[in-house]
Amino acid sequence: MSTQPALVSENVQAIENLEGGPARGGSFRGRRIGGDSWTTTFLLALCSLTVLIPLYVTIAMAFKTTEQAVEGSAFSLPAPFSIDGFREAWSLTDFPRAFTISLLVTAGTVFGTIILAAFASYAISRNWERRLFRYSFFYLLAAMFIPFPVLALAQIRLTGLAGLDNPAGVTLLHIMFQLSFSVLLFTAFLRSIPMELEESARIDGASTWQTFWHLIFPLLAPMSATVGIFAFLASWNDFMMPSLITSDPSLQTLPVVQSIFQTQFSNNYNVSFASYLMAMAPAIIVYIFTQRWVMAGVTQGAVKG
Amino acid sequence: MAQRTLTTGGKGAVARVPIDPPARHTGDTADTDVGGSFTLYNGSSGTFLPVKEGNDVMATVKFDQASRIYPGNDTPSVDRLDIDVADGEFLVLVGPSGCGKSTSLRMLAGLEEVNDGKIWIGDRDVTDLSPKDRDVAMVFQNYALYPHMTVADNMGFALKIAGVDKGEIRKRVQEAAGILDLTDYLERKPKALSGGQRQRVAMGRAIVRSPQVFLMDEPLSNLDAKLRVQTRTQIASLQRRLGVTTVYVTHDQIEAMTMGDRIALLKDGILQQCATPREMYDRPNNVFVAGFIGSPAMNLVSVPVTEDGVQFGSHRLHVDRSLLGSSGNEVIVGMRPEDVEVTTNEDGLELIVDVVEELGADAYVYATPANPDIRLEGVGDDALAKPFIARVDGRRVPDKGSKIFVYPNPDHMHVFDKESGARLG
Repeated sequence: MSTQPALVSENVQAIENLEGGPARGGSFRGRRIGGDSWTTTFLLALCSLTVLIPLYVTIAMAFKTTEQAVEGSAFSLPAPFSIDGFREAWSLTDFPRAFTISLLVTAGTVFGTIILAAFASYAISRNWERRLFRYSFFYLLAAMFIPFPVLALAQIRLTGLAGLDNPAGVTLLHIMFQLSFSVLLFTAFLRSIPMELEESARIDGASTWQTFWHLIFPLLAPMSATVGIFAFLASWNDFMMPSLITSDPSLQTLPVVQSIFQTQFSNNYNVSFASYLMAMAPAIIVYIFTQRWVMAGVTQGAVKG
Repeated sequence: MAQRTLTTGGKGAVARVPIDPPARHTGDTADTDVGGSFTLYNGSSGTFLPVKEGNDVMATVKFDQASRIYPGNDTPSVDRLDIDVADGEFLVLVGPSGCGKSTSLRMLAGLEEVNDGKIWIGDRDVTDLSPKDRDVAMVFQNYALYPHMTVADNMGFALKIAGVDKGEIRKRVQEAAGILDLTDYLERKPKALSGGQRQRVAMGRAIVRSPQVFLMDEPLSNLDAKLRVQTRTQIASLQRRLGVTTVYVTHDQIEAMTMGDRIALLKDGILQQCATPREMYDRPNNVFVAGFIGSPAMNLVSVPVTEDGVQFGSHRLHVDRSLLGSSGNEVIVGMRPEDVEVTTNEDGLELIVDVVEELGADAYVYATPANPDIRLEGVGDDALAKPFIARVDGRRVPDKGSKIFVYPNPDHMHVFDKESGARLG
């Protein structure tokens, strides 16, 4: 638990850095703890409780037996420690299958988003003076302001017609909805890469394609990580889109499967919480392991020549 | 000037091409003791380095009326540039900022469109070729090292793209690294190198490719003063050793003078003069060249024309009247600080000494004309406050505030037209 506050506060820092762009990176780190920042720290710690308490309850409940879950206080520690909840949830929801589908959808989304957004951003940022590219950037940005539910009905029809009322369609739509924000991040980062690097590569004999793969894409790595994590979180945690698009319940992703079996958990809180925890775990684990890397990437800022 | 030799990368045998001096303007391109180094190297080619096998093509460079007009501009940034660079020559493009020297280089590299005219490398018209097809290597001002690659990968990148096999790449990188003293740093990333080392990697990246032409865009301007002087010599000697045609851009006239076989001086996109450093110094084409080349700069004074010459203060200078020809009542007389005769007799232009810079053997006297109507012509923003500079014997310097008289040594004086600034005679 001790790592949690740090995690939350770094999250805030990450967002600040993202908004400030790479050029501002590191200014936060340089600030001394003392004076005003104690107030800030205290407020952040308070805010973090809104996340941490439910998380604690979830974990505590998941490891309780059914009797304990019903009788005891939600905040009490599990005694005895039981994994029956997990066992039951595993078989009840056919966890491996839902997990695999979720994994495929998410992997497809992450991969597709990074590649497509990097392509688009490179093309846009290097052809900025051309109207077509500039407008396509604004077009992509505009998509950020249109929420999925508004388009849901039309998209359900369209994916149905195209035979995409399955996880593949969900993946495709996830990529589309991630594209706006990812292109925004990538283009900002691309502007900080000196043109001389590309000119040098061109003189060294590289075609545009080779320049992209040998030079630009590796340099984008820190931002790809950020984009990838956003795509991962959005895709893994999404409930609405798969539930509406995918027609076959046996092909549903984890969050939807959870909800389908909600009723069957009845008042077996330990089973339902264990099930939530299993669904949540990958996202948390991925974040814990990658956030340090993302932070390093974001704060590293412009590439020095 | 007997026979000088120029090295070319012929296979196996040592290729020496006798050069007929009048045919080229290579100045001191060929260093005759280069020959000795061939025996040290048992590699494939005539130079120290892997030169392309069978590449006996003369890598001359020719700007043929090449112009560049940026979109939205009326005046061209490079205006009908005409330069011929001989095979193996080190040509320096120099000029004040915004003169079009970098643009010219980028046109040659293919990074900048050529709106009019042509550019040739050897007998190939490269005007419309993309950079990768021109067989040139470029060293950028900020080096443009690929930050995610090691030094070895940086140097071998072009070869990797060209599909050269790994063993060959490693061999060539090792050779170049040996020459540039980078062998210990091959596995490092650029950010773990010092400024000087990065500069050498940038050089190495160009060398490894053994291109037809090296292009260098102010490669020394990010180094500190001391390193710059050292590296200057290293680059010049390396270039002579490799014998690769080089076009080098700088804003620093000292770099231009010390490194170049020939210098091309540009101003506002127009070539002012293209000549050897010596010729540039001794016979500047116009007032701009006269003021730009040389440090301290040449003294340029407007003086009235008389019947048989010009009146320099109270000193009469004989100038062939036919030279002055059509020019008006005044001409500009220029003299280098070392060509100024300083006297206390009332003979010449009267000056008040402001500052004396002692350099040991010599001293530079900075003085202003006693008559405030007499203005010194000059290049740059501080033209109004330009002092008259004279070099004097370090043991006999005038006192500050004292009055001196100066006139030019008639053998080393330059006369320019007042209106056009062009050299007369």
